[in-house]
Amino acid sequence: MHSPVEQFTIKVLFALNLFGYDVSFTNSSLFMVLTVLASVVFLALAIRPAALIPGRMQGLAEMLYEFVADMVRSNVGNEGRPYFPVIFTLFMFVLFSNLLGLIPYSYTTTSQIVVTFAMALTIFLGVTLIALVKHGFHFFSFFVPSGAPKALIPFLVIIEVISYFVRPVSLSVRLFANMLAGHTMLKVFAGLAVMIASAGGVAAAGSVLPLIAIIGLTGLEVLVAVLQAYVFTILTCMYLNDALHLH
Amino acid sequence: MKHKTLLLVVTLLMSPAFGWAAGGGNEAGGLPQLDLTTWPTQLFWLIVTFAIMYLLMSVMVTPRIRSVLEDRQQRITNDLEKARDADSKVTEMRLSYEASLEAARSEAAEKARDALNEAKLTAEKAEAEMATKLNRKIKTAEKKMMKMRDDAMVNIDEVAAEITALTVSHLTNLKPTKAAVSKSVKIAMAARANQEAS
Repeated sequence: MHSPVEQFTIKVLFALNLFGYDVSFTNSSLFMVLTVLASVVFLALAIRPAALIPGRMQGLAEMLYEFVADMVRSNVGNEGRPYFPVIFTLFMFVLFSNLLGLIPYSYTTTSQIVVTFAMALTIFLGVTLIALVKHGFHFFSFFVPSGAPKALIPFLVIIEVISYFVRPVSLSVRLFANMLAGHTMLKVFAGLAVMIASAGGVAAAGSVLPLIAIIGLTGLEVLVAVLQAYVFTILTCMYLNDALHLH
Repeated sequence: MKHKTLLLVVTLLMSPAFGWAAGGGNEAGGLPQLDLTTWPTQLFWLIVTFAIMYLLMSVMVTPRIRSVLEDRQQRITNDLEKARDADSKVTEMRLSYEASLEAARSEAAEKARDALNEAKLTAEKAEAEMATKLNRKIKTAEKKMMKMRDDAMVNIDEVAAEITALTVSHLTNLKPTKAAVSKSVKIAMAARANQEAS
C-alpha cells in the first residue's frame, strides 16, 4: 500500500543542471508547462472567432477575462489597470494548475508549498515595493490604525506589522493546504477502496462505498480548485489595493 | 476548510502506523513537499513557465480578448447612438409635421373666416343697396300716389260740382252758377268728412 502523500513526490523526467543548481525537468515542471499551454491555447483558440455574438468557448474565455477584470476593478479600482495582465495570469495559472491536478495520474503543482510560497512572496514583495514607490515614507502610516486610542497604538502597530508580514504565509499555506488535503483525502478513500476490494468475496462489494465518496469528493475538489484560485487572486487584489490606496 | 486540514493532520499522524511512511521515501517525515532538494528545480520552472505565460497573456491573449470586448461595446454604443439619433429625428419630424398641420389648420380657419366675413360684407352691402333702392322706389311711388290722389281729389271736387249742377238742373230746371254749386259741394263734403272722422 502506497502512502496517500506519495502522489506529491517530485520525479525527475530528465536531469538538468544550471550553474550548479539541480533544475531537472520533473513531473511538476511538466505540469507547469501543461498549465501554460492549456490556458494559453484554450484562451487563444476560444477568442479566435472574435464573433460579435460569442459562441460557447468564446463566451467562456470572455467570462474568465471579465471575471478577473471585474475583480480588479471592484477591489483595486482604475489604478489596478496596469496590473491586470499579471493578475489575470496568476488567476489562470492557479486555476489551471488546480484543475489539471484533478485529472487522475496528473500532478498538482500548487500542492507544493515552495510553489505557492514563491508566488505569495513575490506578490508580497511586489506589492510592498509598489506601496513604497508610490507613497514613500508615508507607507508606514499603513501600520498605524486611524482613530485608535493613543495608549493602544504601540500594540496595534505590532499587531498590524505581524499581520502584514504573515500575509505571504497565509496566502501560500491556504492554497497549498487545500490542494494537499483534497488530494490526500481522495487518495485515502481510493486506498480504502482498493483495500476493501482486495478482501475478496462478498466483502469486496463494500468498496463501492469509498468509490461513491470519491465521486462526491471529486466534485467538491473541483469547487475547491476554482474557489482557491479565486481566493488567491482576490487576496492579491486586496493587497494591491492596500498598497495603492493605503487605508 | 478547517475540517479538511484536521483530517489531513490525522491522516499524516496515522500514516506511520499503517506503514505508509515507507512509501513516502524521503527524509522530511512523509511529506514530499518538504524535501528541500526538489525546491530549486520547482522554483526555476515556476519562474520560467510563469514568465512565459505572463508574456503570452499580456502580449497576445488579453489584448485580443479586450479588443473583442471593446469592439462589441463600441458596436453596442454605436447602435444605441444610432437608435437615439433615429428616435430624435422621428420626434423632430413628428413635431414639424404637427406644426405644419397646425399651421395649415389655422390658415384654413383664417381663410374660411375671411371668406365668411367677405361674403357677409358683400351681402350686407347688397342688402343696403337694395334697401336704399327699394326705399327710393317706395318713396317715388308714394309721391306718385300722393300726387295722383291729390289730383284725383281736385278732380273729384270738379266732377262732384258738375254732377251736382247737372243733377240740380235736371231735377229743378234751375241753372245754378258754377261757384254756388262748388261752394255747397265743398260744404257737403267737409260735413261728410267730419262725419266720417267722428
